[in-house]
Amino acid sequence: MRHKKYLLFLGFIAIAVTLSACAGAATTATSWPGLTADDKYAYVAYNTQVYAVDLVNGTERWRYPAAPDNNVTFYAEPTLSQDGQLIVGSYDYNLYSLNADTGAQNWVFPDADNRFIASSLVAAENIFAPAADENLYSLDLNGRLQWTFSSEGESWAKPVTDENCECLYLSTMDHSVYAVDAQNGTQIWRSPKLGGAVVGSPAYGENGELYVGTFGGKLFALSSEDGSIMWEFSTADSGWIWSGPTISDGVLYFGDLSGYFYAIDATNGTELWQLPPEQLDGEIVGSPLVIDDSIYITTEAGILFKLDADGRILWSQTVGDGGKIYTPPREANDLILVAPIQVDELLVAFNQDGGRQWSFIPVE
Amino acid sequence: MDIWSTLILNPMINSLIWIYSGLAQNFGLAIIVFTILVRLITYPLTASQIKSTKAMQEMQKSKKWQDMQKKYKGDREKLAQEQMKLYKEEGVSPFGSCLPTLIQFPVIIGLYQAIIRALAVTPIQLLELTRHIYPFYNAAALIPLNNYFLWLDLSLPEKDFSLIPSIAGFTIPILAILVVGTTFLQSRLMTPPTTTGDQGANMGRMMNLYMPLFMGYLAYSFPSGLALYFVTSNVVGILQYGIMGRLDWRNLIPERFSSESKTSTGSKTSK
Repeated sequence: MRHKKYLLFLGFIAIAVTLSACAGAATTATSWPGLTADDKYAYVAYNTQVYAVDLVNGTERWRYPAAPDNNVTFYAEPTLSQDGQLIVGSYDYNLYSLNADTGAQNWVFPDADNRFIASSLVAAENIFAPAADENLYSLDLNGRLQWTFSSEGESWAKPVTDENCECLYLSTMDHSVYAVDAQNGTQIWRSPKLGGAVVGSPAYGENGELYVGTFGGKLFALSSEDGSIMWEFSTADSGWIWSGPTISDGVLYFGDLSGYFYAIDATNGTELWQLPPEQLDGEIVGSPLVIDDSIYITTEAGILFKLDADGRILWSQTVGDGGKIYTPPREANDLILVAPIQVDELLVAFNQDGGRQWSFIPVE
Repeated sequence: MDIWSTLILNPMINSLIWIYSGLAQNFGLAIIVFTILVRLITYPLTASQIKSTKAMQEMQKSKKWQDMQKKYKGDREKLAQEQMKLYKEEGVSPFGSCLPTLIQFPVIIGLYQAIIRALAVTPIQLLELTRHIYPFYNAAALIPLNNYFLWLDLSLPEKDFSLIPSIAGFTIPILAILVVGTTFLQSRLMTPPTTTGDQGANMGRMMNLYMPLFMGYLAYSFPSGLALYFVTSNVVGILQYGIMGRLDWRNLIPERFSSESKTSTGSKTSK
C-alpha cells in the first residue's frame, strides 16, 4: 500500500513538472527569428540565444549567452547602433545591449513589465524600445531611461521616425497609431480606431504619409500631421494584414494572411497588381524586401520568391522540407537572407539569382 | 484543418470570443459564463455518470456481492464471470460511470486549449488564433482580447502579475488557493463514505489529498485564465451535485468524528 502511495505521489509530481514545462514554454519557440545584418555579420535572435553569423561563409562568430538559459528568450529583431551596440529585447522583460563585434553584454535595461516583442529603433543617439507592457521606453545609448510613453495597447512593431527624428510613429494592438514627441515622450496625436490591430510597423512615405496594414483587412494612408485617414484599401477576402508595407518609388508592397500579395499606388491607394494565393502558396507574414526593381517575398510554405516590378515571378526557392518563413527577408552584401523555422537551418543565404550560398545550423 | 479543430476547438474559441463581445469585452466574465454553459451542456453526461456510480456503489455494498468476493477469493477468473453476471442481473453497466467521463474529457481539454489560444500573447499564438476564427463575424474588431480581470492578467500566471500588493516580495496566489480549496471541497463532498481498510478507499483518500495540491500547483504555474476556469468548473460541479442531492457533507467532518458518529447512530448512506 505504501508503495502505491509513493507511486501515486511521484506520478503527480511527474505530471506537474511536465505540464509546467509546457506552460512556461521555456524551450518551445513562441515566435520566429528576429534578423538584422551589417556588412560583415547577420544577427539572428531566436529562442534562447542571439547569434552573429559571418556573411562570407555562414560560420558562427559568437552567440549570446554562451550557455542557453531557458528563462531568457529572444525573438525581437536586433537593432544595430552606430557606436557598435546590438540592441535586442527579450521575453524575460529585459532589453539587452551587446557588443556587436564580440557579443559581450554592455548593459541591461530591466524596468519593463512585460516582454519585448518589438524591435527597438535607434535614432539621434537614443533607443526607442516598445514593450508589451504598453509602454514605449526612450533610453540613451548607455541604457539610462529618458522618458516613458504609455499607450492603450501593446506594441509589437518597431517605431518609425521622420527625417529629423522629431516625431515617433508607433503602431499598437489597440487598433491605433500614435505620434509621440521624440524629445519628451508626449503624445502629439492618436489616429482614429482603424478597425483591427496594427501589428506591423508603419511605412513612412516621402511626403510624410504613414501607411499601415490592419487585422481589419485594410491598408490605411494616414496624415503624419494629425493622424487622419487619407485613403484606405481593402484586401481581397478581407485578409488580415500582419506586417507593414514596404514603400519603393511611390508603390506600396505588402501581403496578407490569406496569401494575396499586392502592389498599391501610394498616392491614392489604387491597386496596380496582385498575386493570388494559388501562385504564392501560403500566408504572408513578413514585409517584402525591395531592391531596385526586384521584390523578395517569403511565405509560410517556406518559399522565397523573387518578383519583378510588374508582379511576375522570376524564381522561387524552398528553404527546407517542412520549413516555414515568417521573418522578413534581409539584404546584406548582395545576399538575400532568410530565417526559417521548423528546419535545422536557422539562416539561409541566397544570391540574387536564387543560388543558395550557405546555410547556418547552430551547433548544440 | 484537422477534425479536432473543426469539431471541438474552433466552435469553442469562437463561442468564447462571441461571449466576450457580449460581456463588455471582459474575458474573465467570458471564461466564467462559457465554463458554466459547457458544464450545463454536458450536464446529462454528468448526471448519467453520477447515477451509474451510485448504482455501482449500492451493488458493491449488497450481501450478494460481498458473499461472491469471499466465495471466489482465490479464483479471479470465476469472480470476474460472476461479477459480470451480477452486473447483467442488476442492469448496471460497469462502464456506465467512466464512459461519460471519457466523453467529457475532450470537452475539458478543448476548453483549456480554447482559453489558452484565445489569450494569444505571443506572435505564434496570435497567428495560430487567426486560423481558428470563423469569417462570418468581425473578430478583427475584438482582437487582441482584453486580458485584465479583477487583479489578474489572465494571460500570465498570478505569481507574475497581480494588482494585489506583494508581501516581502511574495505575491499571495489567491486564485491558486481558491483552486486548492474548491478542488478539495469538490472531491470531499462528492466522494461517498468508504470502509476503512478498503484498498480502493485508501487510494481514493490519497487522490483527495494530492489532487487539490496538484491542481493548485497547475493554477500557480499556468496563466491565471486557466485557474479561473478551474475555480468556476469546481464551483459549478459542486452546485450540480448539490442540485442532484448527492453532496455528502459528512465527508467534511474529520474521519475520527465521522466514525464515532457512525458508531453511535448507525451507518447511513448518502442520498
